[in-house]
Amino acid sequence: MALSIYGQELSSRLLIGSALYPSPEIMKNAILASGSQVITLSLKRQNPQAQAGQQIWQYIQEIVRETKGFLLPNTAGCKTAKEALTLAKMSREIFQTDWIKLEVIGDDYNLQPDPIELLNATEQLIADGFKVLPYCTDDLVLCQRLYDLGCQVIMPWASPIGTGKGLMNPYNLETIRLRLPNATLILDAGIGKPSDACIAMEMGYDGVLLNSAVALADDPVMMAQAFASALTAGEQGYLAGIMQQRQTAHPSTPTLDTPFWHQN
Amino acid sequence: MNLFINGQSLSLTDNNTLEHALNAFLTEQQQQLSFAVALNGDFVGKADYLTTDVSNGDSIDILFPIQGG
Repeated sequence: MALSIYGQELSSRLLIGSALYPSPEIMKNAILASGSQVITLSLKRQNPQAQAGQQIWQYIQEIVRETKGFLLPNTAGCKTAKEALTLAKMSREIFQTDWIKLEVIGDDYNLQPDPIELLNATEQLIADGFKVLPYCTDDLVLCQRLYDLGCQVIMPWASPIGTGKGLMNPYNLETIRLRLPNATLILDAGIGKPSDACIAMEMGYDGVLLNSAVALADDPVMMAQAFASALTAGEQGYLAGIMQQRQTAHPSTPTLDTPFWHQN
Repeated sequence: MNLFINGQSLSLTDNNTLEHALNAFLTEQQQQLSFAVALNGDFVGKADYLTTDVSNGDSIDILFPIQGG
């Protein structure tokens, strides 16, 4: 089944970042191996002597052409709604997309979102025609507020960005899924291994966004393939209907006619 | 007048438009690239570079695409 983001059908449920790879070539190969059609990127200052960013941008454009994919600019580094709004408008002009991965950071160490500035920014961006994909904590009330403002897509964290710690609070994430059945939920940040992505999909999440887990792997291309498989496994597990957990053991092998079996 | 562009100081003597400031700061090669501009923290669209004035002490941010997660 396809993932739909603001009406755009996508062939993969994996959204992937373009940062931290050992080289632009490895970045391209890994992203292509992942099957993802959505690539995140950003905007930064570049002084006249610096050229590295241009090479990356050229590779990203090649990837988008080859995958028939889409760009998802982020507002990384923003700490206020005003900063996020300005960066989003700059992104829209350059990348020609209304999609924006909204990051408004409240803490320099764990990079968790500032919920108040995040809501302010979301409201203003939606009013300006943006399609907002907000990065948020696994806070049900915050997610509900974002949904009520008009976010069709919500992206709660698994754990702080780049930690690879996986799903810190499965209960919270399950609760968000249960209570926002009509939202497109994409688990974003803190994913470390393919099983993390699989667990998210088994919960019924609609997709996963990651960067470090692939880029910092020993073999990013193989890891990208592993994540693609993990998302498929998790989605199929969810659709197939996972068995109910039971408190006591239930033997799989029939006990009738077992040698030395005695009926009480 | 003195401006700050991407954190660097730049002196401009004549024309005080944003377009002029950008041309003074960016290399010829960079002027051909994709970039976006904010003036004192507010976005200025490409169509407005020629008609937007800059003043002494203004801060201009010129941003280019880079990798991101």
